[in-house]
Amino acid sequence: MFTLNVSGIGKHYRETLLFRDISFQLNRGDVLAIAGWNGSGKSTLLRVIAGLVRPSAGRVEMFAGSESIPKESRRRFIGMVAPAISLYDELTGLENMEFFCRVRGFACSRNDCLDIVDRMGLTEHAKKMCGDYSSGMKQRLKLAQALLHRPSLLLLDEPGCNLDSKGIKVVEEIISRQRELGVTVIASNEKREVGYADRIINLSE
Amino acid sequence: MFAVTTLIAVSFSIGSFRIEEAERPFLYSVLLWIILTFSALSGLARSFIKEEEAGTIDVLKLSARPQAVFLGKLLFNLTLLGALELVIVPLFILLMAYQINFPGLFVAMVISGGLGLGAGTTIIAAMIARASARGALFSALSFPLLLPIMIISIKGCERAAVGISTAGWPEVRIAVAYFVIMITMSLLLFPLVWEE
Repeated sequence: MFTLNVSGIGKHYRETLLFRDISFQLNRGDVLAIAGWNGSGKSTLLRVIAGLVRPSAGRVEMFAGSESIPKESRRRFIGMVAPAISLYDELTGLENMEFFCRVRGFACSRNDCLDIVDRMGLTEHAKKMCGDYSSGMKQRLKLAQALLHRPSLLLLDEPGCNLDSKGIKVVEEIISRQRELGVTVIASNEKREVGYADRIINLSE
Repeated sequence: MFAVTTLIAVSFSIGSFRIEEAERPFLYSVLLWIILTFSALSGLARSFIKEEEAGTIDVLKLSARPQAVFLGKLLFNLTLLGALELVIVPLFILLMAYQINFPGLFVAMVISGGLGLGAGTTIIAAMIARASARGALFSALSFPLLLPIMIISIKGCERAAVGISTAGWPEVRIAVAYFVIMITMSLLLFPLVWEE
């Protein structure tokens, strides 16, 4: 069973303090929302949890059962979607999926990649260049990429960004399904997205 | 393009008839390695900058081991540099009427020097990818790291042109040692460079 333990996390950039003393523990099935004004550090907190940014204070721990997951092994447990994260425009949607399967080092057939692309409603566009996708289609492809390896920790930074009503339904299904797999952390200002969560941390307070 | 343009400019402006016969081996070696080094610096540095600019760097960090990323980029840079040398070196020899008396040593020097250049440029590219003052930082970092391989490659090519056969090809060995050291240090240091 996957557990995420965040203790006393703080982050400052030069003299600007973004947040401090953020602590929480999440177990399988938990959904946490991180809310706050623009610039309050929601995305940065998600990046700290993902290990993309070093915190100024505190630590992030992950456990598979009782065993601690070392930092260098965490990437196979994490799936992340964020506005700042892009996929390769010069590859097709399907090629992006196949590339990330190979890079992550797990066996993934073309059909597996097609399945996940299909779940995101991108079947017709799977063989088109990602650079030709609309922003909504790119967001769906990012969701597909994040779910490819069935992560135990799903980090969603504004998951509904650029999505139509069908896309938002897809996000809701993803969050609902993720409760069986592991933990979800959502960073958002949208009431609807914050409403998916069992717990809320407001960085503006 | 940069390499070909520079080569043509050099061959037209200097030409083989403007340089004393005795000075040609050394000067031509210097010119050749200046063209190769600056072509490598201008072309290979983009390998990491491109990921940063396209916004794909984070998804790469979340998906792949740092060492795998470095080795992938290194392989790409070495392939590119190899292709560059395949075009530029014969063209240089032709346009400058570069006389090489010991072709075996020359080829070995170009290959081993190219390997060293590729390895050095790849780790520099990784270091400067997220810097704001990339130009200045690039110059500051590349000078001390690449100067040894440039000097030894120039020396080796000069010897090959003159026809001095040194037992054991020490310049080639030093270049290969440089390559091995750069790869080893890069694999150890790259995860620290890769992390924000």
